[in-house]
Amino acid sequence: MLRLLVSRILAAIPLMLMVATLVFFLAQLNPVDPAATIMGDDADLESLAEKRAELGIDRPLVVQYWDWLNSAVVGDLGTNWFNGEEITTELRDRIPVTLSMVFGSLIVALAIGSAFGVLAALKAGRWPDRTITVASSLGLAVPNFWIGLVLAYYVGVKLQWLPAIWPTTRPDSLARWVEALILPCVALGISASAAIARQARSSMIGVLQRDYVRTALAKGLPVRRVVSRHAIRNAAIPVVTLAGFQTSALIGGSIFVEFVFNVPGLGRFGVDAILRQNMPALLGFVIVTAAVVVVVNIVLDLSYAWLNPKVRPE
Amino acid sequence: MSDALAGLGGSADAGALASPAPVPQESAAGATRSRFWARLLRNKVAMAGAIYLVLVVIAAIFAPLLTSHDETFATRFQDILFSPGEAGYVLGTDHVGRDILTRIFFGARYALIAGAEAVLVALVIGVPFGLAIGYFRGWADRIGMRFVEIVVAVPAVVMAMAIITGLGTGLTNAMLAIGLVFSMIITRLVRAEVFAAREEFYVDGARAAGASDRRVMWRHILPNVAPPLIVQTTLLFAQAVLAEAALSFLGIGADASQASWGRMLRDAELSIDRTIWPAIPPGIAIFLTVVAFNVFGDGLRDAFAREARGGRVGVGDVVPKERSAAAAPPRPPGSDDPLLILRGLDIVFPKPGEGTDMTVVRDVNLDIGRGEVMALVGESGSGKTITGLSLMGLVPDPGQASAESIVLDGRELVGMDFNDLRWIRGREIGIIFQEPSAALNPAYTVGRQVAEPLRVHLGMSKREARERAIELFAEVGIPDPHKRIDAFPHQFSGGMAQRVMIAMALSCEPKLLIADEPTTALDVTVQGQMLDLVGELARSRGVSVLLITHDLGVVADLADRVAVMYAGEIVETGRLTDVFATPRHPYTEGLIAAIPRNEPRSGDLPTIPGVVPPPWEWPDRCHFADRCPYEAIECRRGPVDLRQLGASLTRCERSHELELRGVQHAAVVAIAGWEQPTGEGEPA
Repeated sequence: MLRLLVSRILAAIPLMLMVATLVFFLAQLNPVDPAATIMGDDADLESLAEKRAELGIDRPLVVQYWDWLNSAVVGDLGTNWFNGEEITTELRDRIPVTLSMVFGSLIVALAIGSAFGVLAALKAGRWPDRTITVASSLGLAVPNFWIGLVLAYYVGVKLQWLPAIWPTTRPDSLARWVEALILPCVALGISASAAIARQARSSMIGVLQRDYVRTALAKGLPVRRVVSRHAIRNAAIPVVTLAGFQTSALIGGSIFVEFVFNVPGLGRFGVDAILRQNMPALLGFVIVTAAVVVVVNIVLDLSYAWLNPKVRPE
Repeated sequence: MSDALAGLGGSADAGALASPAPVPQESAAGATRSRFWARLLRNKVAMAGAIYLVLVVIAAIFAPLLTSHDETFATRFQDILFSPGEAGYVLGTDHVGRDILTRIFFGARYALIAGAEAVLVALVIGVPFGLAIGYFRGWADRIGMRFVEIVVAVPAVVMAMAIITGLGTGLTNAMLAIGLVFSMIITRLVRAEVFAAREEFYVDGARAAGASDRRVMWRHILPNVAPPLIVQTTLLFAQAVLAEAALSFLGIGADASQASWGRMLRDAELSIDRTIWPAIPPGIAIFLTVVAFNVFGDGLRDAFAREARGGRVGVGDVVPKERSAAAAPPRPPGSDDPLLILRGLDIVFPKPGEGTDMTVVRDVNLDIGRGEVMALVGESGSGKTITGLSLMGLVPDPGQASAESIVLDGRELVGMDFNDLRWIRGREIGIIFQEPSAALNPAYTVGRQVAEPLRVHLGMSKREARERAIELFAEVGIPDPHKRIDAFPHQFSGGMAQRVMIAMALSCEPKLLIADEPTTALDVTVQGQMLDLVGELARSRGVSVLLITHDLGVVADLADRVAVMYAGEIVETGRLTDVFATPRHPYTEGLIAAIPRNEPRSGDLPTIPGVVPPPWEWPDRCHFADRCPYEAIECRRGPVDLRQLGASLTRCERSHELELRGVQHAAVVAIAGWEQPTGEGEPA
């Protein structure tokens, strides 16, 4: 297991490097002068040049890249062009917010999605299955920010059960933190639950038709044991793979939900960075997001090895 | 299925035999295309989606004609918000007084154009890219996939946002970015399909015939890639519509002058402290459009390749049935106190594609004596496997088994439910399946799997069960049992895996062992050993065996008694020596003639022409008549009953007048078996 872990981490390093490189040069395609964006339209040429020199963007691209990369490797993602803050610090404050949202949704989605998916498979063709199948295809089609808007209005504004927007002051207790997270997590998690339910259903149906399930039945095991021991573990493999994709999708989706609920997470930061052509901020945002996805995938690889002995190294 | 011919000669079509239900697949050739459309048109949900999408297209094209309001026209009163129906606005207005209905119609334009842009970009880049790296493999593939990996390492939206930063915001740029990200999905899909298609012989065939690379790619590979590609494109269109709405909602897609649905949601958020209403119509529009694309895509997928038949723990027990005909059939020959008495077993399955039932096993009667080896022989599709499964209540869904009685050692099994039968399964009846590596659960060590019935049925502790499993491993001849017990199934060869299965089947000392084609999937060199092992273990423990096989040669030195099955019926049953020496049914004669043996003969190995017809083609008379060399007018009259002839039972109208060619049993043993004849070679 340790060797698997180490080899996965080693493989992730060049990947992260390539992502950084790709995004760095991609962002440079934009012809708009960031100095002009920062200084406004009425700035004169001299002060624009000064600003460019200050930001370091008057240097050759390769030098800029090398410089940025060197600091990024030691965890320094540069300075925010607009407010002069350290980007690493800004991101550090925001990561826990987004991650608690993403993992909150993922765990709930895995629990709900697997349970309903397995139920649908066990009742294949009958009404629970049909209901779950329809519900999951609808769940996949609802935009999460729209659910967010509707929830914010009805549960937040009308009923006032839960906060419609993130509290402006930092939540001071766990209870308030959880309270603020519930609506965003629900909005975010619906499509993931639907996707997981569909996958769980189809892989469970596939596994139930396998010979080894027949063997388990032929041994005289009770259905519950056949399902919980012999079927679920094998059916879980594709679900785990999907959970990896879903984590990535949830991080992407969190951007919109954060926008609706005014959550001070990574997503808002990223959107602001794009709208203001804030290169160091955007790069930091993409790198951190990629890092989270990579870490999640390493964890999933390990659980995959646990589920499937064939990929376990000897 | 070419099995019928080959199977008689001794080799087997493992795939055909492995399927638990003898329901033949629909023949693939020919009418595939018309069936595709028929299936698609019959799919009501997919059609509803298609109709909705047509409506969306109409709304998009004729948006200016459908309404008298302007897309961006705001009333003179800023900051006015009409409710639905008010002042002639069917769906009301947004916070600056723009007609929501009008904007919904125009929004359809943006949604469709944006979706088309993204999907087009994805296809134009992804298809050639995927074809190229899939076709050339090697370095092209490694570099290409590395690139794909980099792009998908970041959430799609985030990567799209990075691209938008480079291109600048705006609807077209945003969809270009989404298209670029989607092209990676298309690339992966096409590559995977090309890899699969390459394995097919027709690509190699085309190359051998001298076709150029490009020609092979376009003419031979692309058509096979097309179905999954069409499905994926439809589903990506739905994703593109969602992405357009999402990016416009953030303000980096459609700008304020464009009435995109996502933009409308963004505007609605501005007045959310007053009313949610302006958010409802665009939300529903997005939702319905995405659902429509998804269900249409799913419909396409189902139409291209029908999904495997529905799951659940699909086994059924045998329900009681009354004997309908007055005359009881003759008792199958056998001992006076058989271990198993099976009477009047019928199994029906729903006919594929129709609601009606078809009978796959009809009125099977079988006696198995104590310590006796009974061979159930027939080509694939004859219903022998499912007959074996029915004894344990394991008839797979949606099959239905009914019988007058199944008595095992004095106990009636018919009418027992799943849980009653649990104490029979594994405890009283053990079973070995054809495909040992598939029959073992890949996720657990073999030791745990062998120990499982010991713990469940005999209440052994973990430790006791493990000790016992090690003993069993030694008994079935697995070397190094202490070590091998902790190995996983994939670490075993087929022969060794089958020994594990045998250990498992015998673990609780069952009275009856069902061996369903135990050697068919194995290497020829170990088949003999495996049969020896089964025979020895059964004899030493006094276990009765039901040996199911398509190969009469296999049973020659193992079985005491033979029942020959054809097309769902037992056509002949008797003592092995009698059946071999004087077969009473033409089918049995054909099976005997097909046993390879060591005597000079001219021409090809004799086989029975034709195959077992599918159950819905079984006639209401002799099932074998169409393939029978002795067929005569009386064979076409009506159903044929089993009748006594000599010491055997036979289901042949002309049996009394035919002189069928048998074989001296000993001669068969001497050359048919893979093993050397030993002193105990002669059973019974």
